[in-house]
Amino acid sequence: MFAYTIKRLLTLIPTLFAASVLVFAFIHLIPGDPVAVLLGDTATPEEIAALSAEMGLDEPIYIQYAYWLGNVMQGDLGRSIFFQEPVTRVIADGAETSILLALMTMVWIVVLGVPIGVIAATRHGGWIDQIASGGAMFAASIPTFWLGLYLILIFAVTLGWLPSSGFPSVFDDGGLANLRYLLLPSLTLAAPNSALIIRLVRASMLDVQREDHVRTARAKGLHPAKVALKHVFRNALVAVAAAFGFTFAALISEAVVTETVFSLPGIGRLVVESILRRDYPVIQGVVLVIVCLYLVINLIVDLAYAWLDPRVSLK
Amino acid sequence: MTAALATFNQVFRGRRLALLGVGWLIIVAIAVVFAPWLTPYDPLEIDPVARLTAPNAEHWFGTDHFGRDTLARCIYGARMALLIGLGAVVVSLVGGTLIGMLSAYFTRLGHVLMRVVDVAMAFPALLLALVLMTILDRSVTNTIFVIGIVYTTTTARILFGMTLKLKNEVFVDAAVVTGAGHPSVLFKHILPNLISPLLVQATFIFAFAQLQAAALDFLGLGLPPEIPSWGNMLAESRVYVTRASWLLMFPGALIILTVFSMNLVGDALRDAIDPRFKDDIAGV
Amino acid sequence: MTRRSPLLVAAATGLALLLGGTAFADGTMRYASIGEPPSLDQQVGTSDLSTTIAHHVFEGLYTFNGDYAPVPLLASGDTISDDGKTIVISLRDNVTFHNGKHMTSEDVVASLKRWGEFGSRGGLLFANVESVEATGEYEVTLKLTAPFGPWKNLLGFINGGAAIYPSEIAADAGGEPIAPENYIGTGPYKFVEWRPNRHIELARFEDYTSPPGDADGYGGARNAEFDTLQFVPVPDVGTRVSGLRAGDYDYAESIPGDLFEELDADEGVRTILNGGPIFGLVFMNSKEGPLKENFALRRAIQTAIDKVPALQVAIGPEKLWRANGSFLPEGNVWYTDSGIDNFSRGDAEAARAMAEEAGYAGEPIKLMVSTNYPFHYDSAVVYTKQLAEAGFNIDLQVYDWATLIQKRSQPDQWDLFVTHHGFVPDPILISVLNENYPGWWSTPEITELKAAFTATADPAKRQEIWADIQGLIYEQVPTMKTGDVYTYNIASPDLEGLESSTLVWPHFWNVSK
Repeated sequence: MFAYTIKRLLTLIPTLFAASVLVFAFIHLIPGDPVAVLLGDTATPEEIAALSAEMGLDEPIYIQYAYWLGNVMQGDLGRSIFFQEPVTRVIADGAETSILLALMTMVWIVVLGVPIGVIAATRHGGWIDQIASGGAMFAASIPTFWLGLYLILIFAVTLGWLPSSGFPSVFDDGGLANLRYLLLPSLTLAAPNSALIIRLVRASMLDVQREDHVRTARAKGLHPAKVALKHVFRNALVAVAAAFGFTFAALISEAVVTETVFSLPGIGRLVVESILRRDYPVIQGVVLVIVCLYLVINLIVDLAYAWLDPRVSLK
Repeated sequence: MTAALATFNQVFRGRRLALLGVGWLIIVAIAVVFAPWLTPYDPLEIDPVARLTAPNAEHWFGTDHFGRDTLARCIYGARMALLIGLGAVVVSLVGGTLIGMLSAYFTRLGHVLMRVVDVAMAFPALLLALVLMTILDRSVTNTIFVIGIVYTTTTARILFGMTLKLKNEVFVDAAVVTGAGHPSVLFKHILPNLISPLLVQATFIFAFAQLQAAALDFLGLGLPPEIPSWGNMLAESRVYVTRASWLLMFPGALIILTVFSMNLVGDALRDAIDPRFKDDIAGV
Repeated sequence: MTRRSPLLVAAATGLALLLGGTAFADGTMRYASIGEPPSLDQQVGTSDLSTTIAHHVFEGLYTFNGDYAPVPLLASGDTISDDGKTIVISLRDNVTFHNGKHMTSEDVVASLKRWGEFGSRGGLLFANVESVEATGEYEVTLKLTAPFGPWKNLLGFINGGAAIYPSEIAADAGGEPIAPENYIGTGPYKFVEWRPNRHIELARFEDYTSPPGDADGYGGARNAEFDTLQFVPVPDVGTRVSGLRAGDYDYAESIPGDLFEELDADEGVRTILNGGPIFGLVFMNSKEGPLKENFALRRAIQTAIDKVPALQVAIGPEKLWRANGSFLPEGNVWYTDSGIDNFSRGDAEAARAMAEEAGYAGEPIKLMVSTNYPFHYDSAVVYTKQLAEAGFNIDLQVYDWATLIQKRSQPDQWDLFVTHHGFVPDPILISVLNENYPGWWSTPEITELKAAFTATADPAKRQEIWADIQGLIYEQVPTMKTGDVYTYNIASPDLEGLESSTLVWPHFWNVSK
């Protein structure tokens, strides 16, 4: 187990390296110039060239990459061209929103998704099952921005129950109460992401009930409740936990559209707007962080599989 | 023919919702084929006088801020939906199947290829699509290609797993013993067993592609804006939520119904395929 | 199921907390903006959003009153020598920077020098400046190489203009925009923090001394009545409108024309028109391609276009646009009808004949436009159609804004591109008169007229020359004006002290709720 963990950790390094080279090459392929964006409509080519040189943006790409990599090794992700702030600060600010939004979405998914999945499995094939599965699939078929627009219209404008947009930090005035700003966005995100969990919970419950070792356990005369708890749920948990892991990672980066509709200062919107502004250091930094997150979650999920499910062989 | 009907019956028996989905998809297919005959209006015809007209006898779905007929645009939008969906399915299935099967069959190659897939999968789908779309220009082919690429990696993973399961089956060994070459084993013996799970995967990719394309259109990085697609119609009209709600209601409903129908069909098909492969296809 | 209960408890606690939310205090004004501004450094960059925020923090020597005439702000007065070449500006002696430093001529000279060298609009004035020196603690002397009429307008226009910074900051800055930690100005509000995608926050500057006189336009008394101003980027326009209606914002900018009637009728919303219209421009490539020096072909294109349908489609209600061919609006001192007969003829047949005569044989003409500005795109769609009807082969190329501004600097990439221009108090600031601006209009005729235009300070004479320049624009067609657009913003009815229209950028001194 320990050796396996070490081995998996070591393979992360080349993956990360390859990813960073790819990102660097990719984003410099995008036409456009961050300095032109910064200086605005009336800047002359001479002014743009002068400022580019001052910022070191006229160096060949491989030199820029070497500088960047050297700094990353020391924990420095560089400085945003647009915000003129350290990239780490910019990302940290966005990370609060993204993490809290992802967590609140997970809460919705757990609160709504798991019970629905369990009920659907116990009423397998019945009309409750059909409505639950069909409803989850319907929710997953709605374009997020469309759903978000209407949620704002109903709950913020017409009813006035919840704020429409923005998210003041929980460390500022208002404290944890500011989380109400995330209620509508997290609901918007939960709609498409619950379906997967509901289906998984339902399927895992059904599958595991049929599996041999469960039948064996029952045959051995173990109490049915104990079987369910010890064998069924534990194994179902593995698949569900994995799905949660990936959903969480996806929620951090794929919330772009929701963050745009609700004007949330999250990571997703940061990276999209940075792409549009050609703010290379921010794009590189965010993508690096997100890729790390994916890889780490991937690793944790694999390790959890190996640990929880003895059938997975450690190769 | 009777065999096909029997299969159809078997898949959709007791699934009324999925049958309704099939019905809706047939309607969309009709719109795609007969678009020019279904509406007297040109989806691109600008009419500043008739702009933002509410639905009436003349314009059943109303008009947009250019004065273009929304119904005509919705009907032509169905063509785009089909094109994007099918295109993404073809790109991702061809690419994904090749990468997945070859990787599982040739272990050494697989070691390298699946590493590459790992790296690609570490990039979140939408992010990858966004970066690619900014590098390439906005066009139909590029949108299809970008969405296809995103699902190529997932398809490759799935095919990798399924091929591994089949690789050690008796019928494969039998084929090898009778002297079949690698291509023959792969494409004549293994692939036919994967057709039905691939079909299921295709329906889900088709559905996802619609939502992904709409999200790209919303962010201004999808199809060229002059093309009447459901996503572009929503993106252009998002400011009219209260002023001209029909502009959001009709294309929105079309996307939801189409994606929902595809998902229902996919779900029904998934339940009908070889149970060994069921868990490999995530879908929704 | 034991796993779920702690989460349920957490969720319940969370909900309980959420219900006890707090509304925003009256001391804070929340402004929903279209996005993040580029740097707030006013000397470098010409973003209107940046100025909307920054003119609360930074001030120039002059500003504009309600009639768009320059009035002293940090200056207290000025004298000009008879030959028009020596300008002595006296400064107010009671001005303090946000870092506590007392403002003197040293700061003004350092700021003007940086602006002259690196500022977006500094070169216009400094091409004629021989020296700028401190000639007293509160006195600065500008020596010009030749009389230069628009000097005071240039010093008063803070967008891309001569904001006054502490000397040490101005001297160290160079061409790079000043970093947020060095946003030190003299304005009624001081910079507090910039949190990406969250807000830019300003707070009342307690040691502010207001310029004398009654408030008039941007001139006269300035009183910071709010404790803080928060500028929140809300990129989705639907959300800006919903957010203001829901009470989350007090002010929201750049609202689409089509919502005007609905919002104007809504008692919970106040609509505020911008006094100075913006106008769209379609630039033509004077350096390369089929349009280079082919003025006849350019006039053919101009003749094919009817600007009215484009304005109807792109803007909507007639109250919000004018099909006006004069570069400055009616009522303005710079208004002139010179050349405007050709503004919007929309005559496809005449255009076709003119194009043929100009030797046009169906070569593709590349029209670049960005969807980041919907009204650019909407106009371009209409023009493309009209041009096609007149026999032009238009290749419409749609990009995001950052790509467009890079492509337009490459002469081989385009023939036409669509942009827009903010209201300016002096025509010399209009981009087409800058020969380095993409389009690169620098025929001998315009060069000569420009020289004459800046050489005199006599208003009547300058207006006369401007009429000639506008006439030349319609003849050589370096750019086509698309019409005046009166953009509007929306505000909460609770805001008091807002004027019924904004001059150029909204301002929130003398405003409270």
